[in-house]
Amino acid sequence: MSQNVAPQSTVSKNSTNQGPPFVDSNTVSKRLQGELMRLMMNPNKEVSAFPEGDNLFKWIATIQGPKETVYESLTYKLSLTFPSGYPYSPPTVKFITECFHPNVDLRGNICLDILAGRWSPLMDVHALLISLQSLLAEPNVSSPLNSEAAQLWPNQVAYKKQLLALYDKANREDKPDTK
Amino acid sequence: MTTTDNSGSTVNKQWELSLYELHRTPQEAITDHTEIAVSPRSLHSELMCPICLDMLKNTMTTKECLHRFCQDCIITALRSGNKECPTCRKKLVSKRSLRPDPNFDTLISKIYPSRDEYEQHQERVMARLNRNHNHASLVSSIEEGIKLQSQNRQKPRHKGPGGEELPGLGAGMNSLAISNTPISTSAQHSTAQVLSSVPAAAVSPSSPPPSEGVSPSGAPTAGPKVKRPRVAPPPAPLTSENESAGGSSVEGGTLGDEGDAVDHLSKYLAMRLTLANRNGELEAELPSSLHNFTIYVAPTPDTYVALSGSYTLEQVNEKFWRVNKPMEMFYSWKKS
Repeated sequence: MSQNVAPQSTVSKNSTNQGPPFVDSNTVSKRLQGELMRLMMNPNKEVSAFPEGDNLFKWIATIQGPKETVYESLTYKLSLTFPSGYPYSPPTVKFITECFHPNVDLRGNICLDILAGRWSPLMDVHALLISLQSLLAEPNVSSPLNSEAAQLWPNQVAYKKQLLALYDKANREDKPDTK
Repeated sequence: MTTTDNSGSTVNKQWELSLYELHRTPQEAITDHTEIAVSPRSLHSELMCPICLDMLKNTMTTKECLHRFCQDCIITALRSGNKECPTCRKKLVSKRSLRPDPNFDTLISKIYPSRDEYEQHQERVMARLNRNHNHASLVSSIEEGIKLQSQNRQKPRHKGPGGEELPGLGAGMNSLAISNTPISTSAQHSTAQVLSSVPAAAVSPSSPPPSEGVSPSGAPTAGPKVKRPRVAPPPAPLTSENESAGGSSVEGGTLGDEGDAVDHLSKYLAMRLTLANRNGELEAELPSSLHNFTIYVAPTPDTYVALSGSYTLEQVNEKFWRVNKPMEMFYSWKKS
């Protein structure tokens, strides 16, 4: 099977418009409805998600810190924004709760392959949240967004101390307004 | 009708079989009257396109890894993303790494002969939801659901033209939760019952509000039949056509499940009350705006603890209830 022989012509003909994939908005809503339905039918204690207000394209999700890690018993809120090309393009996912983690920057942006190039339309909100939960447990310290966290990670005792201090601080600040 | 559509081409050419398919031992066809029961649920996952989560349409199969997608879905996916199988990430160079699977389409049309009808219905519901994702549209789509339900009661449901049962059509396949929920008459009835005494609660939550009872009948004194916390009326499960889809999904789908936050409950209640109000099922007039719901739990009679919206029912149960009987919750709203 020589894949190089495959004539590029068919591919290029199809990909003349390099813009975002056109997906009719009914299809996107349908898919999001389907996902919401599945989530509500199979409630999960560790991760949950629900549309924010009336907009089906913006969800708020919660993940529990994975057990037996420094994140155990911490709860993180995230925002998910779905592009019109969903599920062919990944949603934009950000931490709302400030998250001290090697692969999360101070504004809540997340560095994770499946949120960019390694996205697959088969992935859904649930899979994404599970992936993020395991990212908490197993950061990729070699390409950090938060170098302080990356440097501290090997020392789990000090890391946990710093993590909890920041988590408590963030939670106190967050209480008055919901954002 | 399905094996060789293009006359003249050999079977191999037609199907472009993979090495595995060429060499595997063929499965014996069942020729006697053996019947094999397949649950609608497992059937659903087989017939569903993992990209759009809908039934496969113009099925395409990847030649090497044999995963199936709708034609539109997989073409869009290949065009917009990585050149790989969305399911297993095997390289897909181009459309040529796929082949149409008309056998599968035929299979689906045999199992769901009334698919077009189903799709039209889905589309109508989606269009309505799409126009405005708001409270009002949800309410009106529920009203629609009630109408549909009462129409459906007149005629036998899920019968195909050939009189075959269509397991799961509208149940397993139907992924529209709230919008499509036909509410059973008993549910409406009990809602009305409970609501009839609501105004007391509206005035002061400290006077014993009407019971948001826990048993489906709305009677707060129901014995400890149900162990898990349940908020029964309105007892309509999220999908009600689920009889054929297996019990577990119905259980999990009831709104008052442990995973649900008190906030969700408030939203749902507000919606149901607005609806009941519109249909004139309430004896007392409700204020036009039904926001500022507060949900209370009553650990002992006469004490009402207001609940924060972020609690899940399970947390409420652990924190405030802790007795092995159905949890009783109450609600009130502020006049805005």
